[in-house]
Amino acid sequence: MTVREPNQPEACLSLQSKLSEIAQLPSWIGELALRHAISKDVEFAINVCLEEAVSNVIRHGYGDGEEGMVTVHFAMPAPESFEFVVEDEAQHFNPLDAPTPDTRGTPRVGGQGVHFLRHFTEKLEYTMTPTGNRLTMIFAGADSGT
Amino acid sequence: MAITTEELEGGITKVVLDGRLDIENAPAVDSQMKTIAGGRNSVLVDMSNVSFLGSMGLRALVGPALAIRGRGGKMVLFAPNEMVAKVLKISGIETMIPVHHEMNTALAALL
Repeated sequence: MTVREPNQPEACLSLQSKLSEIAQLPSWIGELALRHAISKDVEFAINVCLEEAVSNVIRHGYGDGEEGMVTVHFAMPAPESFEFVVEDEAQHFNPLDAPTPDTRGTPRVGGQGVHFLRHFTEKLEYTMTPTGNRLTMIFAGADSGT
Repeated sequence: MAITTEELEGGITKVVLDGRLDIENAPAVDSQMKTIAGGRNSVLVDMSNVSFLGSMGLRALVGPALAIRGRGGKMVLFAPNEMVAKVLKISGIETMIPVHHEMNTALAALL
């Protein structure tokens, strides 16, 4: 089995640090889904997680008006394994530090995003890089929490 | 995302959402839902044509639901697809905004 390193992506999407740029994600993900036979349910999960991850970088990592780039890399480290790596050059910020919301009481809307990342991914990993942050998400083709 | 409303018997307002409830559409939906929720106490949100729901989209549903509930009213979600329903379940929102997959039970919940 050949394991592809994160620095050998099969596809890459670069976005400016504006929330409006997130609108490019669905069609990019859709093209990958067609090319790599990603099921509709997994494609949905990927959309949920990437929207959350990228919006977190823009809103919390870069903050108001700060310019920067958010790059999403795609690779398949193994058959039926879809890896998305979100990299930025923003201030160090680990989105996984947010507590998982307690859904037993009255739900609150804020903080749900990380909960989705944990639920829908097979593997979720944050790395602080010298210049910013890297969030790695792996979705399994067979069942990504779907 | 397209939003249409229909007044049903019993003072129930049916809101039909059609499209993606994502970060791009959420603000507009939130604004329109607040307007709708501002004057109605029994709201059925038809989710059958909602193809995507992310965490930002949840806000467009929760805000109006809380407003309606604060006035003693009710809001329910109708017929989300499987993955949209999963998002509602994972987030726990379905404990606050009931989800129904049959129209008769959705309407009954509002009466």
